[in-house]
Amino acid sequence: MATVRIPELKVILCGEYGVGKSSIFRRFTNNTFVKATDRKSTLGLDHFYRTFYVYDREVKLQLWDTGGMERVASITSSYYKFAEAAILVFALDNPASFHVLSQHLLDIVTYAENARIFLCGNKSDLVGNVPQITDSEIESFCEQCHNLVSGIYKTSCKTGDGLEEMFADIAQQLANSNRSRLELQSMEQHGFKITPYEDEPDEDGCLC
Amino acid sequence: MDEEYDAIVLGTGLKECIISGMLSVSGKKVLHVDRNKYYGGESASICPLEELFSKFGVPPPDESYGRGRDWNVDLIPKFLMANGSLVKLLIHTGVTRYLEFKSVEGSYVYKAGKISKVPVDQKEALASDLMGMFEKRRFRNFLIYVQDFNQQDPKSWKDFDPNTQNMQALYDKFGLDRNTQDFTGHALALHRDDDYLNRSAIETIDRIKLYSDSLARYGKSPYLYPMYGLGELPQGFARLSAIYGGTYMLDKPIDEIVLGEGGRVVGVRSGDEMAKCKQVYCDPTYVPDKVRKTAKVVRCVCLLDHPVANTKDALSTQIIIPQKQVGRSSDIYVSLVSYTHQVAAKGWFIAMVSTTVETDNPEAEIKPGLDLLGTIRQKFVSVSDYFEPNEDGVQSQIFVSQSYDATTHFETTCLDVLDIFKRGTGEEFDFSKIKHELGDEEQ
Repeated sequence: MATVRIPELKVILCGEYGVGKSSIFRRFTNNTFVKATDRKSTLGLDHFYRTFYVYDREVKLQLWDTGGMERVASITSSYYKFAEAAILVFALDNPASFHVLSQHLLDIVTYAENARIFLCGNKSDLVGNVPQITDSEIESFCEQCHNLVSGIYKTSCKTGDGLEEMFADIAQQLANSNRSRLELQSMEQHGFKITPYEDEPDEDGCLC
Repeated sequence: MDEEYDAIVLGTGLKECIISGMLSVSGKKVLHVDRNKYYGGESASICPLEELFSKFGVPPPDESYGRGRDWNVDLIPKFLMANGSLVKLLIHTGVTRYLEFKSVEGSYVYKAGKISKVPVDQKEALASDLMGMFEKRRFRNFLIYVQDFNQQDPKSWKDFDPNTQNMQALYDKFGLDRNTQDFTGHALALHRDDDYLNRSAIETIDRIKLYSDSLARYGKSPYLYPMYGLGELPQGFARLSAIYGGTYMLDKPIDEIVLGEGGRVVGVRSGDEMAKCKQVYCDPTYVPDKVRKTAKVVRCVCLLDHPVANTKDALSTQIIIPQKQVGRSSDIYVSLVSYTHQVAAKGWFIAMVSTTVETDNPEAEIKPGLDLLGTIRQKFVSVSDYFEPNEDGVQSQIFVSQSYDATTHFETTCLDVLDIFKRGTGEEFDFSKIKHELGDEEQ
């Protein structure tokens, strides 16, 4: 019986150390939150996928975290490869993490040329009466980067606010844009994954 | 940096990255440092193209080369054997999930001035122009013998003891002539020189089996090559290490490896910062006083705007020039990859010609390889020293890897890594330590 393989769409988290990328990752994987940065809670965890339903179609989002490489070194360029989308994260209570986004954006367009870019202001629970980063600043950032940003979200990993909405919206946007793109992509542009010997190697095209 | 670690790894070349990943996965606290501001050291793929040109002091490329950042040029050419040790390491560590591969389209061998496809099964052997009719039958019988050979079952050895008798004796048993021995030993068993003839036959039988098992995996040729170049490999293992808690620092010069009592390493100093550790793992460039030069390797990167003649316009291929064919004692290797691997701009090919240096004019030594390529738009020649560590590291707890040799695949690379791991930890690497938790594909 023929089955249609549902593509897993690689989505990467980008942004400064400490803005809450791993917290977003943890919310995505098991909807929990830990206060202090506790590496052990994600040790060995590479990426995670969840299935979303967009107009009765399944979309698998595969979320990747940086593994903390950006703490003192830079992230490997291979982290960006094959990404369909990137979530550019900054902390709403930390203007520096916002002003450095253009550097992260540059890395994304360099190494993951075709990735859709989404902007996420995290730690919305820490914003006081006077926001440190105003909506107009966010808007003008998006204008400056030639409207490469496909969506803007405000989230709080602590309360869970805005996260599910963000993931669902990203899934929907990718589903819409991906149908045509997947059809256009020829096998020529793709390699294959190597699998354990016991498995039958994948045949191109038909998966009967 | 001022912390204490179980191990500090210096250099982010492929070997060091694999070791770093294995140590982190085994629960060790690892600091991984590179003096360069990029990952991969010598195993990096150079991007963009402008950087390659400036590295070799050549005026920048013109527009015919396309976009510079579409290029990822390896400095050390190698392919993965589809059923070889590196693929096993990639699968067991899960690093395979970061990579995509393509099969290398063809494998060729040079004989009397021209190249022929390496025959790999009985059918190809019968159609090959490398042998005469009677020789083909002898070669076929030899291939069947190797295929049916089972080390556990002496009956399959057919009155030949592969452990005590040498390879020359096995060739003689089947009456294979010099030419057939040449491509069998060099293009199938991938020996670099002829010393193997006097060693026990089992080694060569195993190598031919590796070749044919690899071929059975994905067809066309036994070789695989990763999309975006070999530089993706060290990065994949570096991510593995980071995921398991390893700390990464780039662009950090190492000023001193600090020794304590009994000449044992106690830490690593960079400026006035000092990281303490029980062990150091590094490549030879970090410990020039602990290594000796044993050979030199010449490598020439050639940019082509056309495929190589007589390869059916293959977008990737390997050509082996057995030493005897050109009056040398070590083989010349030619490997070709192209835009289809995302390592060059559309329409472009990257060929690499390499060999172990035997004279004081290395560039002249690779001429037979260069001559096969046709018009070369740009070439970059480099000669690098091959270093080996002076000691096993058990005393000092400083474990040094060997430089990358001229072989065309990663088998010796993996042997070195597994050996270093064993010397460093006193045990073989336990693949079962890698827990694939949530987020693994097999869920």
